[in-house]
Amino acid sequence: MSNESVEIFTAKRIITMSPALPFAQAIAVRGDRILGVGTVDDLSQWGDYELNEQFKDHILLPGFVEAHSHVMAGAVWEFPYVGFYDRADPAGRTWLGCQTIAAVVDRLAECERDLTDPDQTLLAWGLDPIFLEGERLVAKHLDQISTTRPIFVFHASGHLATVNSEMMRRSGIDRHTPTPGVAKDVDGEPNGELQEPAAMSLAQGGLSAIGIAMMSPNAKWNYAREARNCGVTTIADLGTTRLALDGQLEAWRQATDDANYPARVVVAFGHFDISLENKDSNPMVSLAVRLRDEEETAKLRFGIVKLVLDGSIQGFTARISWPHYVNPPPGHPGNGLWLIPPEQMADIVSSYHEAGLTVHCHCNGDEAAQVFIDAVETALQRHPRWDHRHTVQHCQLTTTAQYKQMAALGMNANIFSNHIFHWGDQHASTTVGEERAAGMDACATAEREGVKFSVHSDAPITPMGHLHTAWCAVNRLTASGRVLGPEERISVAKALEACTIDAAHQLKLDHDIGSLEAGKLADFAVLEEDPFEVSPEELKDIPVWGTVVGGISHVAGSK
Amino acid sequence: MEPSEGLMEVSVIGGYLGAGKTTLVNHILRQASERVAVMVNDFGEINIDQALIDSRSENTISLTNGCICCSLVDGFVSALESVTSFRPRPTRLVIEASGVADPGAVAAYGHGPGLALDAVVVVTDATRLSEQIADPLIGQTVASQIVSADVIVVNKIDLVDNLAVAKSELGKLNPDALLAYASHGEVNLDLFFGREIARTDRPTGHVGMFESRTHESTKPISREAFEVLVENLPQEIQRVKGIVRLTEAPHVAMVFQLVGRNWELRALADRQNSPHGNRLVVIGPKGSIPMEWDNALRSGN
Repeated sequence: MSNESVEIFTAKRIITMSPALPFAQAIAVRGDRILGVGTVDDLSQWGDYELNEQFKDHILLPGFVEAHSHVMAGAVWEFPYVGFYDRADPAGRTWLGCQTIAAVVDRLAECERDLTDPDQTLLAWGLDPIFLEGERLVAKHLDQISTTRPIFVFHASGHLATVNSEMMRRSGIDRHTPTPGVAKDVDGEPNGELQEPAAMSLAQGGLSAIGIAMMSPNAKWNYAREARNCGVTTIADLGTTRLALDGQLEAWRQATDDANYPARVVVAFGHFDISLENKDSNPMVSLAVRLRDEEETAKLRFGIVKLVLDGSIQGFTARISWPHYVNPPPGHPGNGLWLIPPEQMADIVSSYHEAGLTVHCHCNGDEAAQVFIDAVETALQRHPRWDHRHTVQHCQLTTTAQYKQMAALGMNANIFSNHIFHWGDQHASTTVGEERAAGMDACATAEREGVKFSVHSDAPITPMGHLHTAWCAVNRLTASGRVLGPEERISVAKALEACTIDAAHQLKLDHDIGSLEAGKLADFAVLEEDPFEVSPEELKDIPVWGTVVGGISHVAGSK
Repeated sequence: MEPSEGLMEVSVIGGYLGAGKTTLVNHILRQASERVAVMVNDFGEINIDQALIDSRSENTISLTNGCICCSLVDGFVSALESVTSFRPRPTRLVIEASGVADPGAVAAYGHGPGLALDAVVVVTDATRLSEQIADPLIGQTVASQIVSADVIVVNKIDLVDNLAVAKSELGKLNPDALLAYASHGEVNLDLFFGREIARTDRPTGHVGMFESRTHESTKPISREAFEVLVENLPQEIQRVKGIVRLTEAPHVAMVFQLVGRNWELRALADRQNSPHGNRLVVIGPKGSIPMEWDNALRSGN
């Protein structure tokens, strides 16, 4: 028996997500694991203990598991935020939304005054011109802030940036620049807006600075702090091709080995598109296997491979089946883009499948989902394997027939429920039309057809926060306040399973996390109110005290 | 970029999975008569004779003929930085786009600092073209690639009996592209290197079994006389490119492009820096290039 001391936490209520004992009053922790769940009386049978009543007025749940987000969510906070909606940073400070061009300029002017090096580029992120009334923000607005310091403002979409005249001067962007995407005014002069990566990459020290920030230790810490602030104790960095490069593995180890690092991280290996001769010629398999077999620690996990098969629905680049897009922009070719040749999918999936890895594949459109599901079926015919848990990521337009096939094949789904709120109105009016929009992100269908599913934020694409994501799945309210597809709403209980035990299941971590029961890791979400007591519409508004990770408590909003 | 250095010309090689892009890249590495840098998704596919490898790092292979290969695994911008910082500086950058990428989007990077976009070359598989274009999953991808091409390499012609179908499909999608026919990716590199020939001044010479000859003169030629000259070219001549001046509008430099039986004559976009007189490069099998071109151009009829 271990000599480590026992700590018993009491709470107003403990929601365990374990069907054998769904609710409890006390939970005992020894080291980083749960010794038992029940009453203080029950738990005293394990011997001496220290009673910790700091959560006596709080609700404890298994720490939320965000199975699809990105470390970039931590990296963006290296730079000031100029988005439309209020947004909390990892330190818990709320940045008020900039709702006019003047507000954007004021925010940037304030940040500019804090920079001491006159040559340092002022970078900012989150600009979303769709919401700003009147003229579009261009270089002349940014020139009000500085005519000597380069300025680079990255848009929320990730596809655009706006720069000032000094940045254009230093980067040699002028009326003769032929690069597509360098927007020009009626006189042929560039107006400061750079569209798509080729044009954005002309602005020196812009995109590349964000790339460097993503690799920094601070980004890793801020990513975990953001998780802590919303009750998430396990985060996936779903898909990075940089894992083997630039000391990134060591950097992840260094961060997560720190006892104060407030999250477990599943770093998924990002498949890089190369043309394989066959399933045995994939050079990336051995690296992914080595990470899983040799590099795991309690707080750093591997074993997942991420593929990206199509684009986004709101960008009209997702592969969706006939009748495709209802109101695409002029010049749109009709359907979206493939990022991997569809006929290579069976070999690619087989290569990882046969090595015992779990494949998570980004499929926004149903046509992409079908290609992936069929590839999994082929891989299984070639190499039968039980409990692989291959997962369709985003799963936004996945049909009932596809969920049935997924259930038969033992696949999981991770559904992008936040889309209902953020883009649901646009999906109904512009992308896929009313009927398909009502059936998007179909949690109720997944549940009915017996597919285990999670829900996700894809942070930083939408803000991390499982109470908000669960709220989306339960209420299906759009930004304009309409209920989109009421038949696909799920219960609060099911949504909480999706955010805890079923998310853990698709990461193959449900033996360790996702529910509160003896033997599992002591990871809790600490909430101020009971999600079963508030009305479903108020789920997203429950305040989060913080988390406990491996028995160590982390209060939201702290450094 | 150092001010004394010229622009690095950029060629993008696109085309669907299996069309023969990598074969073409390998061919370029073997045949290049200049210092070429290639950016590829995967080193594993590049078939380099060990004897030719000068040095090798994680993401770069230097060859003894002065060419380098750079992997795209670390991201496009990062690969571009390693290529442009390489010394001696390559004169040409060849980017192999992924099998599903739109090479036109990749080509947008070809205007970056120190770079000049030359041509988008799309390789197609003559045996599968019609089937691929009609495919509900990949048809749009293949068609979009073809639409982006300046030059289309119709590959694997040794495996098809009749090229008329492929030619008609390509003509419908992209009537402006120059078609070059090949098997095993073996095309004369002059067919697409230096397409904007007005900017270039490189010596021409023997490339494989083909020879190139440059014809230069100062006097304009009449459109009619020039067309007669073109129509009377021997069948074996695969490629003519260059600048001519017509007596009808002698102040306008006209770009002439001919591949196979297709040709075009259009005004040069950049009139400020246009070269004087006529300068045409004719490429064909050894011994096939007619001598009378010099005389005809000089006579100006």
